Amino acid sequence: MPRTTVVESPGCPPLRALTTDVLGLVKVVEAHTKPAGAAKVVETWGAPDASRAIVAASLADRAADPVLAVARKNGVVELLNPLNGDALAAVKTVGPAPNDGGAEGDPLATLHLFTRQASDSIIGTFLACTEQGKASMWSITKENAASGSDVGPSATWDVCSGANLQFCSVDHGESYAMFGGKGIEVNLWDITSCSKIWSAKSPRANSLGIFTRPWFTAGTFLCKDDHRKVVACTNDHQVRLYDTALQRRPAISVDFRESPIKAVAADPNGHDVYIGTGTGDLASFDMRTGKLLGCYIGKCSGSIRSIVRHPELPLIASCGLDSYLRIWDTNTRQLLSAVFLKQHLSTVVLDSHFSVEEPGETKSKQLESSVEAEAEVRTEKKKKSKTTEDETEAQVRKEKKKKKSKTIEEDEEQVGVVDHSDINGEIYARKEKKKKKSITIEGDEEQDSDGEMCSPKRRKSGERSKCLKKKSKKQLVA
Amino acid sequence: MAKEKKRKQPPTDASPPPGDKREGRSERKGKKARKEKAEAILPSQIKNKDKRREVHAKLKREKKAQKRALARERGQSARRAEELGEQASERSSNCPRHLLSLQFLVRFGSDCFGCLQPPERQVPRTIENTREPDETVCRPDDQELFAGNDADEFNAVLKQHITPKILITTCRFNSGRGPAFIDELMQVIPNSHYVKRGTYELKKIVEYANNRDFTSLIVVHTNRREPDALLMIGLPDGPTAHFKLSKLVLRKDIKNHGNPTSHKPELVLNNFTTRLGHRVGRMIQSLFPQDPNFRGRRVVTFHNQRDYIFFRHHRYIFETKEKKVASKDKKAKASESKSESEKQVICRLQECGPRFVLKLLTLQHGTFDTKSGEYEWVHKPDMDTSRRRFFL
Repeated sequence: MPRTTVVESPGCPPLRALTTDVLGLVKVVEAHTKPAGAAKVVETWGAPDASRAIVAASLADRAADPVLAVARKNGVVELLNPLNGDALAAVKTVGPAPNDGGAEGDPLATLHLFTRQASDSIIGTFLACTEQGKASMWSITKENAASGSDVGPSATWDVCSGANLQFCSVDHGESYAMFGGKGIEVNLWDITSCSKIWSAKSPRANSLGIFTRPWFTAGTFLCKDDHRKVVACTNDHQVRLYDTALQRRPAISVDFRESPIKAVAADPNGHDVYIGTGTGDLASFDMRTGKLLGCYIGKCSGSIRSIVRHPELPLIASCGLDSYLRIWDTNTRQLLSAVFLKQHLSTVVLDSHFSVEEPGETKSKQLESSVEAEAEVRTEKKKKSKTTEDETEAQVRKEKKKKKSKTIEEDEEQVGVVDHSDINGEIYARKEKKKKKSITIEGDEEQDSDGEMCSPKRRKSGERSKCLKKKSKKQLVA
Repeated sequence: MAKEKKRKQPPTDASPPPGDKREGRSERKGKKARKEKAEAILPSQIKNKDKRREVHAKLKREKKAQKRALARERGQSARRAEELGEQASERSSNCPRHLLSLQFLVRFGSDCFGCLQPPERQVPRTIENTREPDETVCRPDDQELFAGNDADEFNAVLKQHITPKILITTCRFNSGRGPAFIDELMQVIPNSHYVKRGTYELKKIVEYANNRDFTSLIVVHTNRREPDALLMIGLPDGPTAHFKLSKLVLRKDIKNHGNPTSHKPELVLNNFTTRLGHRVGRMIQSLFPQDPNFRGRRVVTFHNQRDYIFFRHHRYIFETKEKKVASKDKKAKASESKSESEKQVICRLQECGPRFVLKLLTLQHGTFDTKSGEYEWVHKPDMDTSRRRFFL
């Protein structure tokens, strides 16, 4: 027999993710508790058009009127409603002339939409940056969107000149921004005053005198409340931690495998980061010690373009050139769900205020109860359908069943069954019986698996991670 | 003793059921059943080696003969049923199943009223037809697939806006069968140009080819004087596919080979089913001109089977030939004497050009760049957990 290993995917908790791809489509993927665990594409917005490919997207993840901003290849930034896909506004950000078509060779590279809202009249404020390093702040008000008039950027500055900017990241308080790219060292900018406050310095040449040019591909702020610690990843597969208060050279620099790191995301616990490489390897690092916590193993075979961590649930979503959206558990490092989305994906964002089901601990109980409820509904249906039966036969069957029956529910059913006295259908009734058995067994199994899925594994993994933390602390002490 | 054996063997030949043997073994102690026991004796119980071998060989032979007879019988009954079915189908053409070909009828046609039922043929379970279900398999009703096709890098070539122009080069040290292989490859692919590699970097060569409007670049990599890898780069920004090349047979080593003409060949791409396979198929397609000269009767085949891509290059010819019926049954001969003189168009193939097998290792996004390249697909060993999972 072929040796096949099937890893049971425990399924993912209810969540909603939005992905953008090279054909300019926005796809909404949702996982519900009802058919537990399977994430599915529920909506697709936009028409396929390669010239309107989405290069970057950002979500202002608010409970009240959230906004999704997408930057397209032709230089247009669109603001969408992430709940139903309605376009709120569209701004042409690139190029001196808006009728130029955006093909003058300076396309948008990054986009960040601010979560905080200055006033109610503003739909969204975003920071866009082109590949040549021209950063600009834009505020779209409702009047502008309604009249369709062009607005200018509220502030512009040059991050660098002539180099290739590849990433931009804004800290949690949204007052500092970090830029980096090919030939650009990591820069820290104060957004409010548009001034550079810090820039990194390359590490020294190694023992052979070989000096590598800076080429940063991804970066993020490490802590929520501290803008001074930043993690930047390089094209020559290094993960670097910079402490801007301390020095300009990296505090920690770790190598990871042999392919360039393309995406990084920070964990809300303030010390872990998740990185994705150009060959589809996904791993997590503890940046206090620079230790590799572990790799995420799945059949991921294409470059990872974007990783995002869910703010509350312990899971991350990754997407990239293999056109799969994958959802992983960060504790067990197990693949929870993979959705095939047909195109090369550029960005994924998670909507943490997905409100159909309550996330978190109550989930498992809900699941069980829902399964039970379903089973009850089914059995009732069966009762109704069993009006065509012979009494004596039913009694015989009842005895047989009693031997085999496992749950109390079934017995109750049979009482219900015996009451109906009608003609007809030995065979039919037998069939029914079989069905019922199989259903109840299934129900049991489902319940079991659900119970397993949620509690013990998580707990175990939690313990493991605690152990890891202890270890790392010891090492720190040492 | 041998004589005795001969006498005893015939009754045993008709498939001695296993129960018999066991009985024989149990009754061995009973003296009156000695003869029966001798019939059912197992060759492994014979201690004399020569004798044992003899008996064993005989048993085996008989078993084989029996099997053959069964198969023959089955074939005959199938054929008979087919004939009858054919006649019946002529009678009752309103049965929808008869509109299908006879082969289908044999395979599926068991519940067809009005005609005789041929025995149901069992379809063997192969690795291909028990393949793991894959959600990435292309469907003909997928609008996104066509939109994606229109947007991809090969669209200009495949829509015939640009004629393909191929640059073929080698690794730095090219010897052994490499040059001969390249000669043959250049005869296979029209409008291909060989450029000596020299000491240039591949990135420089990509640049060079871009400046001269080449649409694809093929690099034949040689290891120990034996071509072992093929790199296909779509230009100017198309993907880079890295194939392992194996089982190379050059033209001179093929028996009765033909020599290809300079016509544009027809292209056959088989079994590229998934999205990845589709992309690789389109990439291969973009190497060849899209308007074949059918007059040339030249065909190039890329056949994908279990992720291995088999390359073949043939010439074909259609010939009308008198049908020869090798009928074995004498009574059937009389009925088929009319059809014997029937003329039939057959196709004959002659292989020419190289023969090799490709296996995709990586598909890189963009042109060749090992340092900072992003991969669309990389073969990783942890993907090989099942024999029944295929990616192309």
